[in-house]
Amino acid sequence: MSRITAIASNTLLELVRQKVFYFMLLFAAIAIGVAFVASGMPFAEQFQVLKDAALGATSIFSFLLVTLATAMILPKEIEDRTLYTVLAKPVSRLEYLLGKLLGVYLLLFVAMLLMSVLFFVALFAREQLVIAATLKDYGPGPDGEAAVAAVKAAAFNWNLVPAILIIFTKSAVCAALTLMLSSFATSWIFTVMISVVIYIIGHVQPIAREAWLAQSGVNPSSVMKLFLGFTSLVFPDFQLFNIVDEIVVGNAVPGWMFGQVFALGLGYVFIYTLVGYIFFSNREL
Amino acid sequence: MKARVLGIAIILVFGAVRLPFEVRLEKEQRALHYHGAKLDLGMRQRLSQMGFVAALSGFRAVVATVLHIEAYTSWQRVEWGRLKLTYDTICALEPRNMQSWDMAAWHMAYNASVAARENKEQPRLALRLKAEREYFKLGEDFLLRGIENNPDHALLFERLATIYRDKFKDHEKASRYYEEAARRPDAMQYVHRFAVYELAKVPGREREAYERLKALYEKGEEERLPTLLRSLGELEEKLDVPKARRLYSPPPQKP
Amino acid sequence: MSEPAISIQHVTKVFPIPFKRERVVAVDDLSLTVEPGQVYGLLGPNGSGKSTTMKIVLGLVTPTAGKTEIFGCDSTRVASREQVGFLPENPYFYKFLTGFETLQFFGKLCGLRAKKRDERARELLALVGLEGAADRRIGGYSKGMLQRIGLAQALVQEPRLLVLDEPTAGVDPAGSREIRDLILGFKARGITVLLCSHLLEQVQEICDRVGILHRGKLISEGRLTDLISIENQTELILENASPELLAEIAATTAASGARLVGQRKPQQNLERYFLDVTGGNQ
Ligand SMILES: Nc1ncnc2c1ncn2[C@@H]1O[C@H](COP(=O)(O)OP(=O)(O)OP(=O)(O)O)[C@@H](O)[C@H]1O
Ligand SMILES: [Mg+2]
Repeated sequence: MSRITAIASNTLLELVRQKVFYFMLLFAAIAIGVAFVASGMPFAEQFQVLKDAALGATSIFSFLLVTLATAMILPKEIEDRTLYTVLAKPVSRLEYLLGKLLGVYLLLFVAMLLMSVLFFVALFAREQLVIAATLKDYGPGPDGEAAVAAVKAAAFNWNLVPAILIIFTKSAVCAALTLMLSSFATSWIFTVMISVVIYIIGHVQPIAREAWLAQSGVNPSSVMKLFLGFTSLVFPDFQLFNIVDEIVVGNAVPGWMFGQVFALGLGYVFIYTLVGYIFFSNREL
Repeated sequence: MKARVLGIAIILVFGAVRLPFEVRLEKEQRALHYHGAKLDLGMRQRLSQMGFVAALSGFRAVVATVLHIEAYTSWQRVEWGRLKLTYDTICALEPRNMQSWDMAAWHMAYNASVAARENKEQPRLALRLKAEREYFKLGEDFLLRGIENNPDHALLFERLATIYRDKFKDHEKASRYYEEAARRPDAMQYVHRFAVYELAKVPGREREAYERLKALYEKGEEERLPTLLRSLGELEEKLDVPKARRLYSPPPQKP
Repeated sequence: MSEPAISIQHVTKVFPIPFKRERVVAVDDLSLTVEPGQVYGLLGPNGSGKSTTMKIVLGLVTPTAGKTEIFGCDSTRVASREQVGFLPENPYFYKFLTGFETLQFFGKLCGLRAKKRDERARELLALVGLEGAADRRIGGYSKGMLQRIGLAQALVQEPRLLVLDEPTAGVDPAGSREIRDLILGFKARGITVLLCSHLLEQVQEICDRVGILHRGKLISEGRLTDLISIENQTELILENASPELLAEIAATTAASGARLVGQRKPQQNLERYFLDVTGGNQ
């Protein structure tokens, strides 16, 4: 275990020293820009746009960050031959792989924490501005209080925290997927490309699955059916993680639903890591 | 070689194992009215290629944000036609975002309609009123579509009822939709009363409305709000309820 | 304690060449044993399979056939690497770490406790003469400095066996001598060393035993002194011999039917022998 954490913290340190976190500036710029553009809109819509933009950007950034960072690891270590020195120590390939994955997760965690803090600060700041303006419009009294309550209800919502956790889970699945791909790929460009393609297909996979399950019985030997079945079994279903969209618009997502999606994500991470390990342990270095 | 076969086999077996779980999860999510967006051909025509791919790959919120900003610009420039088209796309992208349906309907029924009625370029009043009414209809249309996608929430029912009440002056429909709103768990406390107030204005249903107002009145102090009392009084007047059995006593006239 | 430090049994490694039908036989039915406490030199021209053999011993490369053991523990097992320090050829480390952090990291991988790790890192940096560069990033190290930090890294868990792939490549002559002295120091402490090098004088100075690889095959192996001695000749090394004595010896030699081949200051060169057995450096 200490070996895994040693590799994980080393991986995080590498990414930090490569100044990966500078992308946060971009995120901050987006958050501020959107807050600025949205400032003229009615308050409910204003908060909506801010949430949409912030969580959307968090999704994109965490996906890109995780996919690029993970795809680089193995090719870079093999090319620099740093892998040899590490594996020449009493470190198993499984420990190595888990350490790397954990390192990426640490990175993801820190990045998402930073983005969330930025997002909540921006949301809070706008909320305070809107509340101040509302109080000025209404003056003291029950009407003003009701209006402020309405503003508060539209702004921060505790449900946003599970939304961020779900984005984390989805990105974690993407990281494990990318690591699995890079355990047999020969270049990181290939890994990134396949990863992105799978990501996109993962969002339309439920359509293929539905079609596949619907046409059972009809013309069972058709090539189409084979294709649909293959798609349904091989590709992940990323649409199930889109309960984030529900949360963003302010709908409560029941805890059991959240739990199931989380468990599903864990299952994906486990399987992809396992398969990645099988490929990697048989790989010629 | 063996490792590859083993790896692929594990992925396929995992696919088969998760299949029933995912199908069930999807059903459960549908039961909660998730996954409303249909990324169909119509959507493809409205979005750019980039936008479509982005929407397809789970970055729907990002595309929607851009569109929200576009809609806001159209409003600032009072381009109602473009505003409507943009909201069509936004709502199709995020059908579960009631805010968008609400905003779209509000722009149509309250902003665009007023602008149409006061259109300086159209001298004939009849045509201006016709245009105004068309915008009412567009607002209604947005809300009806919104309700289809969000039947589990009160907000859009209430908004639609309000448009029927204030714009179309159709008290029967208004009453019906307030009624619907009142049935949802997240309804505002006042909508059930609004349903009855509107019913009271429907010719021929005064008796029914009166009974329901009475029932509310009897529920206790928290229902006996000024508007309810006034409405009750009006009905008692209209229905000629004997003075002795009247619940509403008009405030003493100041000399 | 009688088990060999390294045992290589009938190891063959074949690399397929992608997209071609050809294959490269990097190691061909190689068997050899390194006894504990020995310094073993693996020699051979470029591409003869030295590095490949070392990687197989460390479990980094899976042999196509045969097996290797370290202190009786199969190389495919992680535990076999507990007693080994490895210096790869042209070592590279994480560029973003400083020298000190690098040693800390490898110490962690070997399970050293925090306090011990610190001490050990300082000690090793002093040993390889890098105290001055301890807090500089590895990315800025010269080739010789990399070689030194590589050696330090190999020593981090005080292993009983060292596998060094060209330990002096790129190191300046003075540094090269320092490394030689270090290895002699390990030998004195009973640490087994397997090394390969193209600097034959050095190999000659420090190795007890050498093996020569050619195209993946072990073509010669044995105690260094045995290999480089010329069987039918005897070298007499005399001190303070007068010219008269030498003339007398020459006469006696001729009388007994033997032949005095030459007379010079003593010198032997491994290089000649090496070139002989490998048929030149093709
Ligand atoms: N990963 C690999 N894939 C394909 N061929 C390889 C691989 N590694 C080594 N070889 C081949 O195996 C042979 C032996 O290589 P190796 O590196 O062991 O030689 P070496 O004795 O260390 O040479 P040098 O003195 O140059 O370091 C070479 O022909 C090399 O091309
Ligand atoms: Mg070599």
